[in-house]
Parts: sequence; C-alpha cells; structure tokens
Amino acid sequence: MSSATPSQSPSRLRSLQSLPAKIFHWVNVVSLTIMLMSGLQIYNANPVFGGREGWHFPPFLLLGGWLAGGRHWHFAAMGIFSLNLLWYGLYILATRRWRHRFVGSNDLRALQIGKNPKRKIYAWHRIVYTAIIPILLLAIFTGIGMYKPAQFPWIVDCFGDWFALRVVHFATVPMVFLFAIVHSLLALKAGGERLVNSMFWDEML
Amino acid sequence: MSLPPNSANPLSRRNLLRLAGYSAGGMLLTGASLTLLENLAGRATEPLNQKLEELLFQSQTPVPEFPVSAIEPEKLIVNTYGFTPEIDLTSFRLTVDGEVGNPLALDLVTVQRMPRKSMVIRHVCVEGWAAIVQWAGVPLRDLIQLAQPKPGVRYAYFFSADGYYESWDLASCLHPQTVLAYEKNGAPLPIENGAPLRLASPIKLGYKLSKWVTRVTLVSQLRSRRGYWEDQSYEWFAGL
Repeated sequence: MSSATPSQSPSRLRSLQSLPAKIFHWVNVVSLTIMLMSGLQIYNANPVFGGREGWHFPPFLLLGGWLAGGRHWHFAAMGIFSLNLLWYGLYILATRRWRHRFVGSNDLRALQIGKNPKRKIYAWHRIVYTAIIPILLLAIFTGIGMYKPAQFPWIVDCFGDWFALRVVHFATVPMVFLFAIVHSLLALKAGGERLVNSMFWDEML
Repeated sequence: MSLPPNSANPLSRRNLLRLAGYSAGGMLLTGASLTLLENLAGRATEPLNQKLEELLFQSQTPVPEFPVSAIEPEKLIVNTYGFTPEIDLTSFRLTVDGEVGNPLALDLVTVQRMPRKSMVIRHVCVEGWAAIVQWAGVPLRDLIQLAQPKPGVRYAYFFSADGYYESWDLASCLHPQTVLAYEKNGAPLPIENGAPLRLASPIKLGYKLSKWVTRVTLVSQLRSRRGYWEDQSYEWFAGL
C-alpha cells in the first residue's frame, strides 16, 4: 500500500506500515486465497461458462476436494474476509487515513502534469488500491445474493437474473487476481523490497 | 481411498465428468490430504453458518414469485443420485407418520383433492445453476396439520421410493411455499422430476427437495443419518 512518502529516509528503523495495516493485510491475503481457491472448486461443479461440460480449473488451483468441501471452505472464510474488510474500513475512517490512502485529485494532477516519476507511481498505486475496494464489495454483495437468494431476492434482481449474478460474482476473480499482480509490482516499484517487507513482517519484532 | 465421498456411485454422469477433469496426482492431493482439513473447516464453521441461516430465515414470509412468462423450461437439469423408481400409482400411498396423533396413508386422488398451491419460483441447485419453474401441489403444512404432530416435533424425515432420504427443520416444512408437488410447468409432474410426489420450495437447495416421496415422518430428534448428501458432508440446513 502507499504510505511510503518521499520524505521518509530509507535508513529509518521504524516500520513503514502500522501493525493494524499488517494484520489486515495478512488476514486479507489468507482469507482471499481461501475464497478464490474454494470458489474455483465450487465453479467446477457447474462452470459458469458452458455448464457441466464447460472448461474446468485444474486441481492445483482448487481447495476442498469436491463441491461440499469447497463450500465448507468458502463459507468458513467469507465471514473472516468480510469482517476484516469491515474493521479495516472503520479503522481507516476513524484514524482519517482514508485521506491519503485513496486516490485524490492531487494524484490525477501528478499523472497529468507531474514531472516526478516516483510521484506518478504513487498516484497509479493509489488508483489501483482504490479500485479494489468496490471490487471486493461487489464480490461480497453478489456472494450474498447467491448465498441467500430467497431472503435477498432484490440482489439477484439488481443484476437481472441468476446467470448474470453468477457471471458478475465470477468476474471478480480475474479482477482480484489482476489487482494482486499490479498492486505487488507497483509496491515494489514505489518502495522496493523494504516497502513490500514492511507490509508483511518487517520490524514487527 | 482418495476418491471424493460420492464414489459410492462411480458411474454417474457427474462422477465421470469429475474424474475426467482430475489428474491422478490432483486426486491424491485434494482427496486425501485435504479431506481432513475440509471436514475440520466444515465442522468448525457449519454450526455458525446454520445459526446465521436460521436467523435470516423468515418462516412465514413468502418468497416473491415470478410471472408464468419467466419460466425456464430447459434450465431444470435432472440430478439423480441413483435410479428412477417405478411406482404403481394405484397402490401408491403417501404415509405421514412418526410422533403424530393422526397417522395418514393417502392415495393420490385424496392428495390432489386437498387445497392446491401453485407457484413460479427459482429452483437453486447446490452446483450453482438455477431455473425458474412452476410447481403445484399440496402445501406440506396442510398435511402436517392433518397428521396432528405431537408437541415435541421439530423435524421431518422424507423417504423416497428410490431409497433417497432427507430431513428438514419443522419451520421450513411449515413455510407456505413448501409443497409436495404433482405438477411442473402446467403439466403433470414427469417421472424423472419425481412423480407422483416431490418436494418443491424456494427456500432450500435442490438436494433437500426429495423426489418420489412416499413417506413423511415427523420426529423430535434427528437421527445419526440426516440425509443422503448430508451424510457425505453437505450442509444440512441448506437454506436459501
């Protein structure tokens, strides 16, 4: 994420990321990986595209062994994943971190007229970081629609019909995957290994 | 043995497709080493999941229905765990028994003379697909009322002519859109869809909706066997 600012000297010993950000990141990485792999297991039971005869994901991407196991994992992780997103959202709001975590007009200006290439990377990074939030919320929203279509039929209606709902829910998979790659590359470009390390464990002890 | 738990019926279409998609190494990895963890994940979180489902479930509120024009006749896939049973309609009786004051054994004509409920609902399969279907039949709660369940009754078992079995919570049985259907999409229920009587409801996943139901047993306690797929680790409540 993008809190490394140019003013911070690389020799400073204090970690770049706060402990709550590290915890959020870890829980997110683990729960999201479980969601994705068990989700692909569920997908394989009846592929969105092509039905039963459609293309299936290979076993090394799957979690759960079969449909029932995939559903167990998916339901086990969904609460953790959603609550993690919720508390971090509240934390960002309460500590007013949202003001410099997400994309702002200054980032757009830096991209258009800025001369500093590093500043541009920060701007790109914040755009990507901001874009993933609605994608994750969309994954949860469409997930609730498929989990409880009888209790929340209006969610299904939001997307037209059941098939469209499935397509949108599944489309969040490549979006999240793409985000993870771009997010990692930009973090590496912006703050090097030091920033990436700081997001996971650097100087936690 | 590392086969998925439904290997009891290795030649079903679903299993053949599943097997075709798996490499031998993948079978070993996903089947054996993760089964333990999978059951752990299921056992650890299913009680919580069930509580959430029961909390969300409104036992007397009807789920919005669809117009007849929304029916998707080609989307309802026939999923059968075993075989299609042959049922002699003249000797057929629907039994309602268990902890009841007035056990029933009804022939089809009697069942079809009872108040009829027709509905166009979304049928959702655990595999992920769904189909909008019209079902008509007798509301299950009318049959239960007629049988006069004793005070402690909390569950219903459904036994089918093909050996399939299921159990439900009583609140879901008493939901106004839970019916024993004898009609599909405006025509008599086809045999492959469960004729003469099958469960139909918008509030449960497809595997809860037994076909060829011959017996409903009302009980106060669940037995160790809770349902064909549940006994192979599918979730029991399976509410929608």
